[in-house]
Amino acid sequence: MQFLGTDKYYLNPELKEIVNISTAMEKPLLVTGEAGTGKTQLAFEISRALELTLEEARCKSTFKGEELCYVYDTVLRLNDSRFGTEESGRDVNNIWDYLGFGPIGRAFLAEDRRVLLLDEIDKTDSDTQDNLLDVLEDASFIIREINHKVKANHMPITIITSNAKRELSDPFLRRCYCHHIPFPSMEEMTEIIRLHYPEISAPLMDSALAIFYHLRQQGFEKPPATAELLDWLGALQLDNAKPPFTPDKLPFLGTLLKRTQDLLQHKGVKRENV
Amino acid sequence: MFLPFFYQLRDQGVPISLRHVLEFYQAMEKGLAPDLDRLFILMRLIFVKKVEHFDGFEQAFAAYFLGAEGGEIPKFSHQAWEEKDFRRWLEEEMANGSLPEDALERLSLSELLQRFWDVVMEQRGKHRGGHTWVGTGGTSAFGHSGADREGIRVHGDSLHGSALKVIESRRYVDYATSATLRAENLRQVLAALKHMAPAGPLTELDVDETIDRSCRNGGEIELVFKRELRDRIQVIVLLDNGGASMRPYLDLVKLVFGLMRDHFKDLDYYYFHNCVYGCVYSDPKRLAPYLVHHLVRRDPETRVIIIGDANMAPAELMLSNGAMDYFSKIRVPGRDWLLQIRNHFTHSVWLNPIPRSRWPRESQTIDQVGEIFPMEDLTLAGIRRGVEWLNSGAPPKRANRQVAV
Repeated sequence: MQFLGTDKYYLNPELKEIVNISTAMEKPLLVTGEAGTGKTQLAFEISRALELTLEEARCKSTFKGEELCYVYDTVLRLNDSRFGTEESGRDVNNIWDYLGFGPIGRAFLAEDRRVLLLDEIDKTDSDTQDNLLDVLEDASFIIREINHKVKANHMPITIITSNAKRELSDPFLRRCYCHHIPFPSMEEMTEIIRLHYPEISAPLMDSALAIFYHLRQQGFEKPPATAELLDWLGALQLDNAKPPFTPDKLPFLGTLLKRTQDLLQHKGVKRENV
Repeated sequence: MFLPFFYQLRDQGVPISLRHVLEFYQAMEKGLAPDLDRLFILMRLIFVKKVEHFDGFEQAFAAYFLGAEGGEIPKFSHQAWEEKDFRRWLEEEMANGSLPEDALERLSLSELLQRFWDVVMEQRGKHRGGHTWVGTGGTSAFGHSGADREGIRVHGDSLHGSALKVIESRRYVDYATSATLRAENLRQVLAALKHMAPAGPLTELDVDETIDRSCRNGGEIELVFKRELRDRIQVIVLLDNGGASMRPYLDLVKLVFGLMRDHFKDLDYYYFHNCVYGCVYSDPKRLAPYLVHHLVRRDPETRVIIIGDANMAPAELMLSNGAMDYFSKIRVPGRDWLLQIRNHFTHSVWLNPIPRSRWPRESQTIDQVGEIFPMEDLTLAGIRRGVEWLNSGAPPKRANRQVAV
């Protein structure tokens, strides 16, 4: 099973190796990096390229970890015990009819190997992270209510993403493979754009790229990232905008700079130059 | 063949554990590193977990693999490499055949584990008092009677075959000692500081209560919901960032403070110089004052941690015109301001970077401040005691604690 990238996703050769190594070693891969470097997208593309089902967990700060494995529906069971199950086919005496499985549970129980995405793990608190890592390392979890151990049929290919807003604990890091996706260089960005807009004209792209990397160096609160660049290029093409562009006269500036403060700063810089 | 490289990694400050070494051999058995590039990526994935270790890893890799295979050696000279105890020791091993060159292909995991430990044990006999690796009386994390208390104790034959267990079991810190502070163990201590309280919407089903009420209802179901327990801890850190007396402890305080800032979601911090007079400051340059008056309007349940050496001129603490700032109009002695803070908040602690044993010698004001606030030093044990104190249920309202001298 080799991951070679897909037609819509530019895969850095190094990252390709890393994905394949962690797949072979059955280790969770923790990807960090700026927004817009394709961290989350990586899991989607692996699932597409290898034709494996994706189980996706978008983390929230309230997660305790267990709900990603299973959920026990007490209320439904109480209700059934009072009013009967009718035609639902559930059996009140059978707890399994009231257990639902979260992304991790589904990935473990599936007959085939799955891709498991734990998105933005840094949003959860450190207890949750430690719980999850135990689950992923042992490839099993316990359903507390009946003390039943669920063991993974296949170790899922696990991709964990983090914006690294808060530092992850050392034990957590120790059990993952960690990779920081650097922001794409201009050459790589050219590749990425070509994947999305095969028809794009060279002058438009060159001029846009120059502006884009110039803007990124201005120390904005939210510097434009890949997603913004692609949006902007899309808008430019629809509008038949003609290069060259200059920083003080940018069409669709709002697609690149999203924060008022950044926009003001950009305009402020312009005034000083004039 | 890779063993010396692992030592080299350690020399470069990359923390590697046996677990990772074994993982690496496992990966090699799977044929995941057919060429040097992929070996590099594989090793980096397994051994480097933090950005700050990346550099050391690259240097070690370049010196060992590129140097050994005829490429250029960027940072290490061949002489330096030759001088290494390990090189010499390794060559001996190779020469007398106890470490065959094709060890990797021939040995299984458990054999490698055995061999790895044998190597460490073997080497113990070869040098004493060094600081690089296993030895006696040295400063390395490995070895017997060394300075590093958390280290792995290599002693006697009984370790054979249970190396992994021993290493794992010693990884955690002995809290009873004044073990040195590291980011990792400090984080464990801080994690203990919690204030769990029911909060948020009524979302969690109270199963016991529901069954109880339903039974009283004669089987008619009544659902009872409760708020879930959440960590509601609020922390205020007051940091003494002024004066020469704090300077020697800068790194220590930075480490502790940095971790606290990472750890607590709800943390405010203010600065002061030597002692508090009327206000603390919200910026490190102490230009934006925040009045004590406001501070003592905050939720009394807020935990207050003061980090400072409490080392000042006695006048600053006791006299009504003692404030450091010459032009200060404040005519209330520092002690009164500290008492205000102490008496408002139910839980507060003073962490002093000066080791406890030196408090009586360092300054009399340390004792005096220690009578106001429970004071601990900035060792792991001290911080742990401080955290315990901040977590304790019903603390005495008045400051009456005597400092042990």
